[in-house]
Amino acid sequence: MDLFLILTGKIFSKISQAFNFGSGSTWPGHIALSINKNFIKDFLKKSKTRIIFVAGTNGKTTTGKLIQTILENNGKKVFQNTAGANLLNGIASSLIFNSDLVGKINQDFAIFEIDENTLPLILIEIPGPDFIVILNLFRDQLDRYGEVNTIAKKWKDALKHLDGKTTLILNADDPQVALLGEKLKAKVLYFGIDPTGNENDKFQHASDSTYCPNCKTKLTYSSVYFSHLGNWNCQNCNYGHPKKVFTESPLYPLAGIYNEYNINAAVLLAKNLRLSDERISSALKNFKPAFGRQEILTVNSKQVQIFLSKNPTGLNESLKTIVDLKAENLLLVLNDRIPDGRDVSWIWDVDFENYATVFKNIMISGDRVFDMGLRLKYAGFKNFRTEENLTKAVNIALEKTAKNEILYILPTYSAMLEVRKILTGKKIL
Amino acid sequence: MKNLTLTIGWLYPELMSTYGDRGNIIAYQKRCLWRGIHIEVLKLNQGFDVNLLNLCDFLFMGGAQDEQQQIVAQDLIRKRNLLKQKIEEGIPGLYICGAYQFLGKYYKEADGTIIKGLGILDLHTENPGLNSSRLIGNILMSTAKGMKMVGFENHGGRTYLGKNVKPLGTVIEGFGNNGKDTTEGVIYKNCFGTYLHGPILPKNPEFTDLLIKLTLENKYKLTVNFHTLEDSLEKKAYNAIAKRLKVKL
Repeated sequence: MDLFLILTGKIFSKISQAFNFGSGSTWPGHIALSINKNFIKDFLKKSKTRIIFVAGTNGKTTTGKLIQTILENNGKKVFQNTAGANLLNGIASSLIFNSDLVGKINQDFAIFEIDENTLPLILIEIPGPDFIVILNLFRDQLDRYGEVNTIAKKWKDALKHLDGKTTLILNADDPQVALLGEKLKAKVLYFGIDPTGNENDKFQHASDSTYCPNCKTKLTYSSVYFSHLGNWNCQNCNYGHPKKVFTESPLYPLAGIYNEYNINAAVLLAKNLRLSDERISSALKNFKPAFGRQEILTVNSKQVQIFLSKNPTGLNESLKTIVDLKAENLLLVLNDRIPDGRDVSWIWDVDFENYATVFKNIMISGDRVFDMGLRLKYAGFKNFRTEENLTKAVNIALEKTAKNEILYILPTYSAMLEVRKILTGKKIL
Repeated sequence: MKNLTLTIGWLYPELMSTYGDRGNIIAYQKRCLWRGIHIEVLKLNQGFDVNLLNLCDFLFMGGAQDEQQQIVAQDLIRKRNLLKQKIEEGIPGLYICGAYQFLGKYYKEADGTIIKGLGILDLHTENPGLNSSRLIGNILMSTAKGMKMVGFENHGGRTYLGKNVKPLGTVIEGFGNNGKDTTEGVIYKNCFGTYLHGPILPKNPEFTDLLIKLTLENKYKLTVNFHTLEDSLEKKAYNAIAKRLKVKL
């Protein structure tokens, strides 16, 4: 039966690609799962492929791509469920695409991006992955994923069932994520960042977990890096920052503190597979960013760099990073479709006030262009333009950008896909 | 207007601030500054000295996650009497979502458990259970004074108003208090409760100005006539949502 599903799925995906239907990538999996609900479990039983999950609010795609780059450059065959389709259907589909016609995967590793709600579900389907990387937990689309504390509780319950075969790679600087590693049978490793030069004296407004996830007392931080990430401890229950933390990748191919976390997580995993610093480092030199994640495009001989920014912490960190890069030209695109989150209130949790006079040219666009305009107005920005038509907005912003300058585009998820389509003439989903 | 100073008491900014609600503080503050009214913001965090309430001219409290709301409940229940007195005396205030529910008599959870509220306003909230969906989406309503307001609602609880309070508005598109009786929010004296995020104040400048006026009138016992501010972006943001909800302008 499953062989039939695989074959059908492959045919569907070919038809979909041939006719350029766009989002053909999840329905082979959807069909397979609706006919055999154990499709994923049955499929993986027969395979020797090692499974890596990457979960967290921000950085999944980049971290997955980093791991993939390191492994592939070291001779491993790897597949990843890309295309942002990070639900069960997407995973079933990527199994179909990456198997041969007799239903065997000839790959050494499979990397799956797991979104907040799916982690408990996927652990039922795939109960013993080799690695689970958990990057962070920030407030994201509250209308879809629910609240941070609820998610953390569901994760904790799901991870209890893991045995010693699974290695968890957890962010030590995120209190809720670090607590996930307590009292587990699975092996637990921690990553963080080198605090030197990264300390902030105050919390950003969009901080979520400044209360102890164990006893609800206010946490004490000896330093804060961004959002609620930092060197924390609880003076009430003595729950504290893990002691042994990996913080030093031999190479950092991407800018931004948030990428230091992503890179250290990927490198810690690679080191656990006994890859040497030299091999990791030479692999990372070949790293190309995932689409929309600091991806650089050249359009009309001008450089454009896209920083996907889909929640308060993501947008705060994108702004901080491009300001460090001396950005002058900015295009902000705010959409409110399902993948973006329909509630745009979150832009008020971003610390725009810090950047009111930094940029030379600011253009804003997207479904909720005027909401973004209001946010900038109340943050004290004076010189910004609003343009409802995204193609026009992109063109004007490009015109305003001088030949030797870079246009930085900060879009939400669906906006990022649209922007890329405008810039490259191609659809990716 | 010279030498006017207002103090905003921001209740639990660290805990009750999940849905961009600080935009309300920013809008209130900026619209005062643009009119030459000086503003001080007093952050009233967990364990604050209850007497600080006496220094406030306007109170604001946002929504939060359940767990954070429980921490706040333990703290605020001890300060309930003075808060009630201030509200009865007419202190203007805005309470969003979880804060709005908390001012009422009780919150009945899906399993029937009753969580006591502050009992200051004549209203209660019920969660109909997992089989009923949360009320989520853009909302547009009109108020008794003919003001149109927009925002985004996201709540599981259904709120029902008692006889001693009035609704803030009538729902034109969206769910409102309970998805049934077309009421949205509450007004009691100068105290306003609502489910509208968005945040509500930057998106609805007329309402913000009304709150500022009430605050000035309540503090300085004077009649206020504001000059209008440049609000074209606000109008465009409103029109974009009205158009999407197919509501006539």
